[in-house]
Amino acid sequence: MFNLNEIKELIQLVDETSVQEVEIENEGSRLVIRKPSKAETVYVQQATTAPAVTPQAVQAPVTATPTASAPAAAPTAAEVDPSLHTIVSPMVGTFYRSSSPEAAPFVSTGDKVNDKSTVCIIEAMKLMNELEAETNGTIVEILAENGQLVEYGQPLFLVKPE
Amino acid sequence: MKFHKILIANRGEIAVRIIRACRELGIATVAVYSEADRESLHVRLADEAYCIGPTLSKDSYLNLTNLMSVATLTECDAVHPGYGFLAENADFAEICESCNITFIGPSPDAITRMGDKSEAKRTMIAAGVPVIPGSDGIVEDMDEAIVIAREIGYPVIIKATAGGGGKGIRLAEDEESLIKQITAAQQEAQKAFGNGGVYLEKYLTSMKHVEVQIIADKHGNAVHLGERDCSVQRRRQKLVEEAPCPVLSPELREEMGAAAVRAAVAVNYSGAGTLEFLLGQDGQFYFMEMNTRIQVEHPVTEMVTGIDLIQEMISVAEGNPLSFRQDEVVINGWSMECRINAEDPERNFMPSPGKIDFYLAPGGPGVRVDSGAYPGYTISPYYDSMIAKLIVWAPTREQAIAKMKRALDEFAIEGIYTTIPFHMRLLNHETFVRGDFDIKFLEENEV
Repeated sequence: MFNLNEIKELIQLVDETSVQEVEIENEGSRLVIRKPSKAETVYVQQATTAPAVTPQAVQAPVTATPTASAPAAAPTAAEVDPSLHTIVSPMVGTFYRSSSPEAAPFVSTGDKVNDKSTVCIIEAMKLMNELEAETNGTIVEILAENGQLVEYGQPLFLVKPE
Repeated sequence: MKFHKILIANRGEIAVRIIRACRELGIATVAVYSEADRESLHVRLADEAYCIGPTLSKDSYLNLTNLMSVATLTECDAVHPGYGFLAENADFAEICESCNITFIGPSPDAITRMGDKSEAKRTMIAAGVPVIPGSDGIVEDMDEAIVIAREIGYPVIIKATAGGGGKGIRLAEDEESLIKQITAAQQEAQKAFGNGGVYLEKYLTSMKHVEVQIIADKHGNAVHLGERDCSVQRRRQKLVEEAPCPVLSPELREEMGAAAVRAAVAVNYSGAGTLEFLLGQDGQFYFMEMNTRIQVEHPVTEMVTGIDLIQEMISVAEGNPLSFRQDEVVINGWSMECRINAEDPERNFMPSPGKIDFYLAPGGPGVRVDSGAYPGYTISPYYDSMIAKLIVWAPTREQAIAKMKRALDEFAIEGIYTTIPFHMRLLNHETFVRGDFDIKFLEENEV
């Protein structure tokens, strides 16, 4: 559930952009902020639907990520250091950091990789596809979560080339 | 079995159409898009959207693995394939089934049976549906050819069985010409397609392209929803469609409708489908092919029947019986559709992709626009050039023409060339207004 400060920040965000309505559902609670004219309405209710973020307006994207618990949307485009190389997903599937639930992850931040290093597995249709780094360098950041659905082109790892 | 979530395996205006139907039914929607379609309207409208590949269709919209991956991982109950892409791909239908996801369309078997031209023809003959008179398969020798040609009557078309794209087609006006042309045709076919097999068909002239919409459920009920006249074609691409057909009598409508229903029942069809016929001036109609999917021009049928075809497809796929009987289907009024494409009619319909700077669709009574376009949207060169479908409904054909002209006049699209000026001229052409135009209309007339 959102605390008062988080709600205040969200209201401010909605006010500052041309977004008309924001609806956030998370952990059984639902928050709707709507800007019908000059007045803003805020109401909160208990809901049993699964977590989802559904922005209703198509006018302007909410540029800052709310400080509330992270919504289940795809990762927002972070400010990426242009010198870093991004490993992206070549397919749609489930991202796994290790070969099996008990095994250690293929790579962690700080690990060195070369172009043949396996960095993760993308599972699609029961087939496990090992992804190779295809670059030499050090893993700087891991952008996807274990077990997450990743789409084509989704950034997975940031690598500092050597 | 109620669907909670549907994946739309398509793009553009039809993806938007399907999302709209799902929204009204309270079904969650999953959109897929190629990198080039990131800013598409269907992506914005869906509840969830996933990138499934780079620009090329074969790597994205035809990428079975990525599609099924999204469908299974997002826990979709069903997939709607739209038209084109994988809509008539029996393998895709089968893979959906094996993943326990309902393919919103007919069975893989029905798709296959109707996809094979000679098999489809045989099925039609068995079902008592008239087909284009011709040889039964490949012509073995000259004697056989002569006999068949005498039977079906000249002129006769010689077609290469492995042909395509207009190649391997020759016309024989009489027996002498036939004898000369057959050998040449066989040799040409052998060289071009590696298969010298040719078959014969009666050459039909002054034909209208009249197709019948059918819909069937999984309980053996099949109903026809009237016909559409799609004779205005350029290079076999439909540009304008209307329902009903201006030259069809009620009796002929009944006959063609009944034939279409027989065809559907013959292949155990379920879902929406269209039987395409060629209609002669003498009132004789011949089976051409069956499209086992929803078609681009389905809105005109929706307008004259008041039936939401996409919602009915979903309902049928869920296992429900059809929500209406044949005697409850009433054709009311007249509907027309103009396909507005990003092409320059002054330069031989040269594709005109680009950014739409200004977009204002027409409105008012009896006007419907199905489109994925919006101001600032870029029509990319990678897929089809359709911007929007402009559909009108009016009580009579004259009024429908007047309304279409009015709507076209209001339709403002800036930044790219469109076929709107062409449609305006077409609607003023006396042959079109008369209604008796055939499929050669655009070929033989300046518009």
